[in-house]
Amino acid sequence: MARYGVAVAFGAPSGADGQPSLAGTGEQAAVSLAPVPASDDLALHLDGSRPSPAAVVTKGLTLGFGKRTVLEDVDVSIPRGRITALIGPTGSGKSTFLRTLNRMNDRVAGFTRRGDVELDGESIFGSHVDLVTLRRRTGMLFQRPNPFPMSIADNVLAGVRAHRIAKKAAWPAIVEARLREVRLWDAVSERLGDSPFRLSGGQQQLLCLARALAVGPDVLLLDEPTSALDPLSVEAIEALLRELVPALTLIVVTHNLAQARRISDQTMFFFEGRLVEFAPTDRLFEEPAQPETARYVTGRIG
Amino acid sequence: MSENGEQPGAREGVERMALAADRVPGRAPMSTRRSFRRRVAGSVGWTVAALALVVIGVPTVWLVYGVVARAVPYWTWSVLTQPGAGASGGLENEILGTLLLVVGVVVLAGGVGVLSGIYLAEYASGRWGNLLRGGSEVLAGIPSIVLGYVGYIVLVVDFGWGFSLAAGLIVLSAMTVPYVAKSTELALRQVPTSFREGADALGMREGYSLLRISLRAALPGITTGLLVAIAIAMGETAPLLYTAGFTGSLPSLALTHKPVPFLTYAVWTFYNQPSNYAVHLSYDAALILVALVVALIVAARLVVVWTQRHADRRGGV
Repeated sequence: MARYGVAVAFGAPSGADGQPSLAGTGEQAAVSLAPVPASDDLALHLDGSRPSPAAVVTKGLTLGFGKRTVLEDVDVSIPRGRITALIGPTGSGKSTFLRTLNRMNDRVAGFTRRGDVELDGESIFGSHVDLVTLRRRTGMLFQRPNPFPMSIADNVLAGVRAHRIAKKAAWPAIVEARLREVRLWDAVSERLGDSPFRLSGGQQQLLCLARALAVGPDVLLLDEPTSALDPLSVEAIEALLRELVPALTLIVVTHNLAQARRISDQTMFFFEGRLVEFAPTDRLFEEPAQPETARYVTGRIG
Repeated sequence: MSENGEQPGAREGVERMALAADRVPGRAPMSTRRSFRRRVAGSVGWTVAALALVVIGVPTVWLVYGVVARAVPYWTWSVLTQPGAGASGGLENEILGTLLLVVGVVVLAGGVGVLSGIYLAEYASGRWGNLLRGGSEVLAGIPSIVLGYVGYIVLVVDFGWGFSLAAGLIVLSAMTVPYVAKSTELALRQVPTSFREGADALGMREGYSLLRISLRAALPGITTGLLVAIAIAMGETAPLLYTAGFTGSLPSLALTHKPVPFLTYAVWTFYNQPSNYAVHLSYDAALILVALVVALIVAARLVVVWTQRHADRRGGV
């Protein structure tokens, strides 16, 4: 059962970039999806006898907007201290899934949810749950870098100040430590008071990462964090993400299959509102258990 | 090409070129009748825009020149330091009164207006929100003389406040709150969703992110609304005649029972007084008003530029 977090050791960025061509083949409509039971690997539930290897557990999670169901009945355990990639075509529900994990969808009009999400064994939808605490524990990085309209240093400190994490005297040290952590210090140390919008897109995304790390999250949700960036920045960010595990649990939505292979330990494949397969990344790409997965990772649907 | 046989020669040539070019896929004709039409429409548009600029610009220059030319030759600095009621003295009482009214409007209309704008942008939705917005627009549309008269009957007479700072401030604020509220609402709606999402994802509380992120980003728009409010507070005469009254002595900070002198009163009444001195004073008052408005706009711009120094887009005022 609980194979992750224990036995599975992948991870060396293999540099595999057998990214299949994603040219539309028009085959998508022809794919019939019989309700496939999730593979054994998905049935990871909390095992009382030993410490849970799962950081995030979903139970019968069904999400929708208005009357439309976007994602149906997802039961997964996302292991701690690993990078989990979420792949699937546009509209498959993976972003909605990600944004449910820190309740970013709460604000969206018409959002509906059944089922539950547990973070470290505790429901995030419980009545006693404080959104502020939840979001301190689950940081998020968006598709487009979104620094705030304040100085670079103030951006790093935005969360620190909002949560009164540190005294003012400690702020400069925090700024430096976090910017060093994301390898941005050397580029910006001379202009901490400048606008972040003069940085390159990749640097802005690193700044947002520093900002997210500064509040000390356990889980980091990343919604296509590199899709708007140039190849060199992508490389820098991917390398950084590899360094953040196992201290943090990373959940990454990506459209880039090669990226999923390079950085993730296991991969969830979403298709047409269902979680089709959840397996160690190598296995999901090399020997997919489900026919849709095989077609997607070889570029025949998508 | 036979269908073009009736066209005059030159036109036919153009037409033929156009058609020939049309047959080459992917290559647009360099010159067609449509592009000629576009050029004509373009130059007509530019001409109309230039004319509009002239229509606005010329009277403005003429007006400012008229005020300056009539005020400057008789200018004495004692105008700023002596109170008076036209026949003698200066404009110190009117200047201080106007500044008092402006500060009061910024506090009262600014506070109420910004809070209303936040409410309209963040919390008022559906029919209730539309009702509030409609009500605000109606308030903005009421003629100032009507508001002034209502203020006179209710505040000055019924409440027994007499001509007073409070009565003048309340009427001026009622006039200007809709502008501040509208500009605040619009400015908040234009704050990019990504800022808000970023704040949410960091776990900022709603009020905190509103104050630290959204309002800060919306400041240029809010300032525009405040400037309109200030301009109205400085420029209005009719409602103040009914509510603020006038006095030849310095204004006091008392909210009731003390009339407040103001510059537009001087412009309006001193000009009609049978003394050259009073007429010159009325031009001085107009000049001071223009100078105050310009100074305020410049100051507001500087504030905006300073607070938006980290923004990716510069906000204009």
